[in-house]
Amino acid sequence: MTIAQVFDYQRPESLEQAVQMLAEHGGDVRVLAGGTDLVAWLRDEAVAPDLLVDIKQIEGLGEISDEGDAVSIGSLVTFTDVINSGLVAARLPLVSEMSATVASVGIRNRATLVGNICSAVPSCDAGPPLLVHGAIVHTFGRAGARQIPIDDWFLGPRETALAPGEIVTKVVIPVPPGGHGAAFVRLSRYEGEDLAQASVAIVAPADHRFRVAFGAVAATPMRARRIESLLEGKALDPTLVAEAIALVSEEISPISDIRASKEFRLRMSEVMLQRGLKAAVERLEGNGPSYGTNLM
Amino acid sequence: MTTLRPFEKESTREFDYVGQRTVRVDGLEKVSGAARYVDDLDFGPDLLHAEIVESPHANALIKAIDTSAAEAVPGVTKVVTGADFPFKFGLYMKDRYVFAQDRVRFVGEQVAAVIARDPKVAKRAAKLIDVSYEELLPIFDPIEALKPDAELIHPDLGSYTHVPWFYPHEDTNVAHWRKTRKGDIEQGFAEADVVLEDEYTVPRYAHCAIEPHVIVGLYDQSGRLTMWSASQSPYTQRHLFAEALAPLGLTHKDVRVITPYVGGGFGGKAGVSMEIMGAAIATAVKGHPVKIRFTREQEFYNTYQRQGLVAHIKMGVKNDGTITAIEHIMNWDAGAYVEYGANVVNAAGLSATGPYRVPNVWIDSKCIYTNLPPGGPYRGFGYSEFMFGLESHVDRVAEAIGMDPVEFRRKNAIREGDILAYGAEMNPSGLIEAIDRTAAAIEWGKKETSDDPNKAIGKGFAVFWKAPAMPPNASSASFLKFNEDGSMNITVSGMELGQGYLTAMAQIAGEVLSVPPSKIRVETPDTDRNPYEWQTVASHVTWSCGNAVHAAAVEAREKIFDVVHRVHGYEEESLYLEDESVRSSTDPDFKLPLRDFVIEGLEAPDGTFKGGPIVGSGTFMPEFTSTSSDPETSQGGHPNVHYTVGAAGVVLEVDRETGRMKVKKVALAVDVGKAINPSLIEGQITGGIVQGLATVLYEDMRFSEKGKLMNANFTDYKIPTAHDIPDETIPIIIEVGQPDGPFGARGVGEHTMIPAAPIIGNAIKDALGIRITSMPITAEKVALSVMKEQASEGDET
Repeated sequence: MTIAQVFDYQRPESLEQAVQMLAEHGGDVRVLAGGTDLVAWLRDEAVAPDLLVDIKQIEGLGEISDEGDAVSIGSLVTFTDVINSGLVAARLPLVSEMSATVASVGIRNRATLVGNICSAVPSCDAGPPLLVHGAIVHTFGRAGARQIPIDDWFLGPRETALAPGEIVTKVVIPVPPGGHGAAFVRLSRYEGEDLAQASVAIVAPADHRFRVAFGAVAATPMRARRIESLLEGKALDPTLVAEAIALVSEEISPISDIRASKEFRLRMSEVMLQRGLKAAVERLEGNGPSYGTNLM
Repeated sequence: MTTLRPFEKESTREFDYVGQRTVRVDGLEKVSGAARYVDDLDFGPDLLHAEIVESPHANALIKAIDTSAAEAVPGVTKVVTGADFPFKFGLYMKDRYVFAQDRVRFVGEQVAAVIARDPKVAKRAAKLIDVSYEELLPIFDPIEALKPDAELIHPDLGSYTHVPWFYPHEDTNVAHWRKTRKGDIEQGFAEADVVLEDEYTVPRYAHCAIEPHVIVGLYDQSGRLTMWSASQSPYTQRHLFAEALAPLGLTHKDVRVITPYVGGGFGGKAGVSMEIMGAAIATAVKGHPVKIRFTREQEFYNTYQRQGLVAHIKMGVKNDGTITAIEHIMNWDAGAYVEYGANVVNAAGLSATGPYRVPNVWIDSKCIYTNLPPGGPYRGFGYSEFMFGLESHVDRVAEAIGMDPVEFRRKNAIREGDILAYGAEMNPSGLIEAIDRTAAAIEWGKKETSDDPNKAIGKGFAVFWKAPAMPPNASSASFLKFNEDGSMNITVSGMELGQGYLTAMAQIAGEVLSVPPSKIRVETPDTDRNPYEWQTVASHVTWSCGNAVHAAAVEAREKIFDVVHRVHGYEEESLYLEDESVRSSTDPDFKLPLRDFVIEGLEAPDGTFKGGPIVGSGTFMPEFTSTSSDPETSQGGHPNVHYTVGAAGVVLEVDRETGRMKVKKVALAVDVGKAINPSLIEGQITGGIVQGLATVLYEDMRFSEKGKLMNANFTDYKIPTAHDIPDETIPIIIEVGQPDGPFGARGVGEHTMIPAAPIIGNAIKDALGIRITSMPITAEKVALSVMKEQASEGDET
């Protein structure tokens, strides 16, 4: 693989040093963590940075920590780290379930969860689960630290609320109070490594204030607020589920591309919602399919 | 001394090595990482790297090329364009140039190359080459290309040189038209109780071998050209390099092709594709080795692709199930150049009846130029493509007359001695046994239901056949020599592509000479040292080269018996080999180890020595084949050496809502004549099924409106992973011996992927009642078909 582009490369050892580099270097500066998107883009010349700031030597960014009512995931935490975390599995099974569907083992060993939301492609797997959990993205720049609610994070394809000169340090994911069930349902072309054709993340808390988000069926991962309002506080029955499914076409705006047609994405989003709701509620009640079961 | 036909002579006894699950002779090298591939070879600091400048247009005239800016980049050694090499090349039809001359015909076609000290410099400089094009209207649809007013993609087609069995149609886009006619087609349809016709389409596919194409060339100061090539065809490459570069003064003696291990081919590394550039540019940088290593993207769009097919099938049957006639019109999207692909079209045109007795046949197989990348050989060589339609159609015809589709196939299955569509006789075949054992393996006729209410289970069945598609004089050769300890080295020029060919050759020689394969080294090709082999394609190499190795071993054995006779006096007829020793049927006490004399000879009573190093050579050419036939009917020749036949069946679970499919069980029976190594054949069956299932379930090439391949990557061109293999695969080996094969063996490599597409199509029909006539049959296509069906049912009620 030949990367023929010319660019500078820096490897800071502290966050302060990193933001200094970001601020002082003119032009297009990119932060390098796992690199599973960025290096491929460099090779394909889809990006043309003047500087790469490799943050892998910065201490403290690779932690998964228990913050009581939330779990914090540092910006160097890989999907494999997430999968191997007993803390995440116990408190945020949706995030574990999603992580295990990302790409392949080799990619998951390298790709970071934070990098996934920074790349912010419409099909990014981490998007829907973080949306339904109401995650907070923590950033750091010369102007100081910011906390950006995930609902405000995704602005468009490959476009986020991250300001120039800022680095994401971690994402803090609240744990729903009381018990909850959840489901991440993902459609792909086959069992092997694939980008999601469409996905849905669902949280079913004990009070049935359902949270629903879709991936790969709009310009960004998106919350399905009308469906959430419809379901709020109610017990699921076939009529209600049918009403929810009927709302899917109003919520999402899929396109046709090389991975799937608009028509198929729409229909499968309906199926995924139906199967995901059922599994999430069953899991809440303690009798659902184990997390990791492919519902498609 | 003539050699007896091996099968006739040796089929009567038990074998020590043939038929055994011998451990691969290349296994240790590969698992230990010792095996080297072209890109592993070190060419030292003088090595140069080339970057190819490619056409962004599917059809355009080249008006001017300005290379000056690229040439000025420090580190650039040389820039070459078509003007430097106005040389044509091609295997069966010379319709290509080394680099485009005045016209480009597909997106990605090579226009120029930048040679530099380092690949990054080459890549940067390549962007500075300014090519002025005048765009022409491209044609991507073969049916469009057939229209009388279609623009000509090759206006000079009439002047191209080609093999005598091709029939180009001048002033059209039809590069070759194979017509096969037998009986009276109209009469055949008139006799039928039911006539059914429909169209089937198959897209293009990519081979996706794990190792990309790599070529390194060194044109030394003495004028000798050595090529290190990741190829299935070292001798064919040498021949085509020497032929194309003859204007530079090169002869065959001056060209040497070395092919180390190859990381998969599947036809993609047959013949000569990108390698011609490597040979040409080496002559431009005399004294320096120069490398072209294709990227994965280039693998997709500028090697060979499997050709697309639009097939129209019309079949007539009687109510008792007898096929009365088949009309099979195949329009092939052969791409911008057909120097190899036209032979795929030819092969299909001879065999598109499938393995059935058909009295009345009308086949048109048209090789049509389009402005898509060149088509070429791909495992299955046309048969996978047309058998999708044919075996789907057979199920429909059987249904139309209310007959079980397996019984229908059984009734019409071709048998030994039946007259093929082109007039020759069918070889011995275990087709009926294959049908019966496959049906039993999948419990044909027993309906299965899923525990999941969303899911339906269907069963699908198909038969298959395929013959090697070779020139009538394709041949093989082998050298064999003993070492002091009784071990052996064998040189051949077939390629070890992962199929286990070297192991099979060791087993064949070992069987004849009573030497365990573990004591035999079989060398990868070097055209200076190893004897001739046509190519490792067509599933012919175990059969053809196996015969050559067998002949070499027999020659060595005769030399052994001769010297033993001369020194010890035993009649040669009484001598035989056992446990690496010479034994005599007339003297049970006589046992002479090979290692005692195969190099040093035997000491005679007078103190002199007789014999000396034992070596053997063997060749094989199928002397019964001929392509001389009537171009209007294909009657009169004997173009195919033999057909390998078989059957396959699947148990498929389908999710009605999502269309997602799970192969619960797949069985494939193939008549290999004789399994030289059953483990290797099981590998072919498993691998072929997985590769074939991928082409039907998710692989698919997508081109933009401008003819650019949109998924030249594994992000969007999906090939199977370990997660995607069937739950259960049942390989069934059938052995109805091939009289002219080594120990009765015939080819098996390609065949195992041929039935994959129709068994899925037929299983979907069984599960859901929906017939899909275009590949691939993706989950999306199934789900949308179910929705459409439900919508139309809703309309009716």
